[in-house]
Amino acid sequence: MNPLVDPQLGERVINLMAAMVLVLQIGMVTQRWLMANVRIFAAQSFLLAAIAATIAYFNNAPHIYVAAALTLVLKGIVLPVLLTRLVAKVGIRQEIEPLVNVPVSILISAGLTLLGYLVAESFYHPAGLGIASTLGHNTLAVAISLFLIGFFMMMNRRKAITQVLALLSLENGLFLAAIALTYGMPLVVELGVFFDLLVGTMALGILVYRIRETFDSMDVSKLRKLRG
Amino acid sequence: MILVAILAVPVLAAVTAFTARRRAAMEVINLIAAVATLVLGVMLAGQVLQWGTISTWDDLLYADALSALVMLLIGFVYVTCAIYAIGYFRDDEKNHVFEESEPGSVALTKLRKYYTLTPLFVFSMALVVLSNNLGIMWVALEGTTLATIFLVTFYGRTTSLEAAWKYAMIGGVGLSMALFGTILTYYSAHQILETETLAGLNWSVLVTRAAQFDKTTMRLAFILVLLGYGTKAGLAPMHTWKPDVYSEAPVPVAAMLAAALLNCALYGLVRFFILASRCLGPEFASQLMIIFGLLSMGIAVPFILAQRSFRRILAYSSIDHGGIMVLGLGFGGPLGALGMLLHMTFHSITKPLLFFCAGNVQQHLKTDQFSRTGGGLIHSMPVTGTVFMIAMLAVTGSPPFSMFQSEFTILRAAFDGRHVAAAILFVLFLVAIFSGFLVHIARMVLGPDPGYERGDLCPFKKYTLVGLSAVVVALGFWIPSPLFALVQKAAGLIGEVR
Repeated sequence: MNPLVDPQLGERVINLMAAMVLVLQIGMVTQRWLMANVRIFAAQSFLLAAIAATIAYFNNAPHIYVAAALTLVLKGIVLPVLLTRLVAKVGIRQEIEPLVNVPVSILISAGLTLLGYLVAESFYHPAGLGIASTLGHNTLAVAISLFLIGFFMMMNRRKAITQVLALLSLENGLFLAAIALTYGMPLVVELGVFFDLLVGTMALGILVYRIRETFDSMDVSKLRKLRG
Repeated sequence: MILVAILAVPVLAAVTAFTARRRAAMEVINLIAAVATLVLGVMLAGQVLQWGTISTWDDLLYADALSALVMLLIGFVYVTCAIYAIGYFRDDEKNHVFEESEPGSVALTKLRKYYTLTPLFVFSMALVVLSNNLGIMWVALEGTTLATIFLVTFYGRTTSLEAAWKYAMIGGVGLSMALFGTILTYYSAHQILETETLAGLNWSVLVTRAAQFDKTTMRLAFILVLLGYGTKAGLAPMHTWKPDVYSEAPVPVAAMLAAALLNCALYGLVRFFILASRCLGPEFASQLMIIFGLLSMGIAVPFILAQRSFRRILAYSSIDHGGIMVLGLGFGGPLGALGMLLHMTFHSITKPLLFFCAGNVQQHLKTDQFSRTGGGLIHSMPVTGTVFMIAMLAVTGSPPFSMFQSEFTILRAAFDGRHVAAAILFVLFLVAIFSGFLVHIARMVLGPDPGYERGDLCPFKKYTLVGLSAVVVALGFWIPSPLFALVQKAAGLIGEVR
């Protein structure tokens, strides 16, 4: 049998790439340099595009190619470029100051990954009901872990721009979940989500810039005037 | 066709306002767009009452009684805010507010921002209620956040940046949960419908097959959507962005957020509530609704009682009313949904009035603190003072105003559904909030004259106040029968579950 059409091979390739996405996410938790974070996000998006393309190839689902191409262009290239420019513009390259230190962060991420697998387990129907039973199991667990770790990163970071990155990686988890569960959302919806993501990142970028200008800092824990 | 027209009007208004060169032109464009939206909303309501549902563009756009009701309220709030905004921003310009916050800024640039983003905001809200597809509904709700971020930072103060940042971040996280919930709903439908086209997320398709969906998935999906759209609606404990945003945004924007966007977020929640109830039986979703409803009302109580700012107190009132609506939905029965939608209608009509009064006082006295007003506002601002008292009584649901009726309906639904403990808490919270509002507002409005200069209201502000308060008072005694028929029909859509 031609290995290039063997769905088993496809599944293994996808699992491998999903695992790499997860490793990158934990890498982002540990990485203290802002630019490295942006690059990890770009690499993660490239892998997501590759996963989408692989699924499209092995399942003959051409509409996923569009989602893959969009991911590659938007999340792999456009958003990282925008973020790099933003980092240069606000002129900070120093370290991220997480609230919880790195070793504890890794432990928490590991715990969240475990939780992701437990949640994904509940979707696992041995009877073979639909796609999740064959393809989604591992990928879905990775997606949920990505989502949870993204949450944790948002809470753990004080700089405005790193919170934006955490939000984006959280969204990467959602994209992976959609791909794993249903081969992606309907294309029109996917386009809408991409549009929101692009406009949202630009809007947040402007906000980050203005916060930096006004407060002379990007530490969002200084935003504490409004209470009660 | 009418559905396309409703969406086209605000987009056209945004484009023309962006290219307009004069303030008057922008004001007129916005006003025309608002009136057109309301007229189209009334026509839509009429068609829906006649034919049940309408759809165009391969079922991409779809309207039933529930969408028509929320659309009608969006149109109404848009009109009142469009008229009030003219006076409000003219006063801002007269008081040199724009130069104060950002030296050298030109009023026209600021106004262009408002008159361009507001129609886009309305467009997003209209898309939320008119799109058949739950995925596109999500995209549109996220769109409302994007359209309003820079309206929140309108004044460019440090505090408005802080508010906008909280709004964007909390909203972003919340909506990502809602997207996850939408994906899971699509997945549970995917197994039954076996389609990868847009129809797989179309409300009109999903609702007929909801009973067959995978229960585990649907349960998780509903929780995620509740947290997500609950954040957008400002239900406790995801409400923390609300007081900041409502007090920092310009008054017409805050009024639209409180009176129109709240409904849109709840609309999204109701759609999933219906799916979840059909799939899992009514208990699961209803109980969650009762918990979140009581929590929202309960959290609002201490913050209203101890409130120091008359702008922030309105946000807590909005959290409280979101909770009341969700409670009505949770109590269920034939009366629960009816009470919820009546309350939504009355709230949307009454709430802008309270915002406008607070805005007038803030513009006149340059403060938003109760303590700095010194009481006796009725002497220096007779119209605003009187209307403020009327609006306060109306919004806290004291008879004879209309919100008393809707709250009473919800209370009856609670007893019908044998939720006695919840009903007692509901009444306690209502009374506490009423007394909090009464003390704060009465102390500000009544009392001896502290001797402020008389504040003559510019005609646009005065007519909005007087006109809207006439509507509010009239609504306490008489509700137009077509409007009531529409509410009943929409409640029927939710009530069908049982």
